[in-house]
Amino acid sequence: MDDILLDVQGVSHCFRLGKNTVLRALDGVSFQLRRGEIFGLVGESGSGKSTMARCIMSILRPTAGAIRYLGVNICDPGQFRAHKELLQTSRQLIFQDSASSLDPRMTVADIIAEPMAIHRARPPRGSLRNEAAFQLKCVGLDQGCLDRRPGELSGGQRQRVAIARALSMGPELLVADEPIASLDVSIQAQIINLFRHLQEEHGFTFLFIAHDLAVVRYLCSRVGVLYQGKLVEVGPAKEVFADPRHPYTRALLSAIPIPDPRRERERVPQSFDPAQFCREGRLREVSPGHWVLEKEGES
Amino acid sequence: MDERFVLVGARTPLPPPVKARKWYEGRPVVSMAVLAGIVLGCLFCGAFVSGEPGYMDLLHSSEAPSKEFWFGTDTMGRDIFAMIWYGGRVSLLIGALSTGISTALAVLFGTVSGLAPRWLDDLLMRLTEIFLSIPSLLLIIFLQAILGKANVWSLSLVIGVTGWTSIAKVVRSEVLRLRNSEYVMASRCMGGGFFHILRKHLAPNFFSSIMFMVVMNVRAAIAAESTLSFMGIGLPLEVISWGSMLSLSEKALLSGAWWIILIPGVFLVVTMLCVTNIGGWLRGEGEQRGNNL
Repeated sequence: MDDILLDVQGVSHCFRLGKNTVLRALDGVSFQLRRGEIFGLVGESGSGKSTMARCIMSILRPTAGAIRYLGVNICDPGQFRAHKELLQTSRQLIFQDSASSLDPRMTVADIIAEPMAIHRARPPRGSLRNEAAFQLKCVGLDQGCLDRRPGELSGGQRQRVAIARALSMGPELLVADEPIASLDVSIQAQIINLFRHLQEEHGFTFLFIAHDLAVVRYLCSRVGVLYQGKLVEVGPAKEVFADPRHPYTRALLSAIPIPDPRRERERVPQSFDPAQFCREGRLREVSPGHWVLEKEGES
Repeated sequence: MDERFVLVGARTPLPPPVKARKWYEGRPVVSMAVLAGIVLGCLFCGAFVSGEPGYMDLLHSSEAPSKEFWFGTDTMGRDIFAMIWYGGRVSLLIGALSTGISTALAVLFGTVSGLAPRWLDDLLMRLTEIFLSIPSLLLIIFLQAILGKANVWSLSLVIGVTGWTSIAKVVRSEVLRLRNSEYVMASRCMGGGFFHILRKHLAPNFFSSIMFMVVMNVRAAIAAESTLSFMGIGLPLEVISWGSMLSLSEKALLSGAWWIILIPGVFLVVTMLCVTNIGGWLRGEGEQRGNNL
């Protein structure tokens, strides 16, 4: 299929913690991103979501497996070097903490124009500054911010600047590593709507990593659930939320608070016992596009 | 009625207004002014010094300060007033030039070491420590001997090449702290190369922490030059600098001509004192600006 933008195949990543201890942050994760979709990756903390993002952005190299982006295996140093320019401009990453992902000594205009300055791209709107002003407008900030430094902006404004920087090169793939986790709820809603709007406008493919399930349900067309470095369930968001198959997904979804107090009181949170979790097994398609991790031989 | 009611809240005395800091408060104004005076005097000495600094007036040798020779003359009959300003040019030039060389080397070396993989970092740092453990004066003398007869440029090069180690160590530790920050990671993701990251992200962020050491390096370089010249292995006598003027002092001591020693010495000490003062202030500033909390 040619509409697959990113193909993650059996990716594993291990961190060496000491001489003898190895942490398996990712364990044979496979999924695909289709062009123009919003894919949500959820899971509890420590489940390997950020490691996945870093592997996709080539910050970390997976210990096993392959990640193909537009047919280029980015885990292979030779292929990476051959397509460096394409990979660096068309994939962009948004970090969780905007306070540390923006250089405190640069002005907003310089921050937004940085990718263009690196690649010596010719700005379509005359100067780098005009380009930065345009991107700033796209994310809903006014021109007055151009000469400010990140320390003078609020958290929501900073995250908007980070988004503007990521969008300035017109990326194909945008990876957002918990972009809203450090914001308060009202700002979260604004940023989520901004993402939705920008995605409709630019049509980029969006990998959205979050632990907030309600947001994922609202924003994403497909979701993947990670648990202890294993992908336990992938499928269309509606279906996964309506009919979770894996016991961990069920436990995770049962933890979503319900706004209606009467129903909230009736809610029975399910628990998931990590001892039950079986790492062995493979993904089985339970309905079109909906895959669940199951034990071998079980049907 | 007045006794039963107590006015609450009205007329609480306002705290005395905090005086705005004057621009000169907390700054080493005197040091800055004196240093500026010396530097400008050296740069534009042609305007107020009449006569050649190297001219030997043999009729007036070893004369005490007088109306004609404000700072007196040395044993060869040269006017010390003229020599001070022309010699200051050389001393300050050596200070600035060798500091430039050391700083460039230190930033490059420290950044490479900080960004390199662990084993290379260890190797480079051990090399630096070996370098640091050799007395720098000894090293300067050896290098100067290799380069041959000293002139201003070779001396600055030698002093500069030997003085970078401590700055490099500070740069490295700053780079280690900065390289894991997300903006450096983001810049690398976007394809920023080594020099881009160094220029845009690392250098502006570690600049304030090495500023103090850079300024102190100027002082050390001026001192090294005068030490060498005093020992007779630095600049030759015909090139006038504060150091080479001091090299005449042992003869002057015997003849009791105090001005030959004292005047260049005072200029040297005052300059270094001012530089030290400014350096100390810069360090305090850097620490204050370091945290935003």
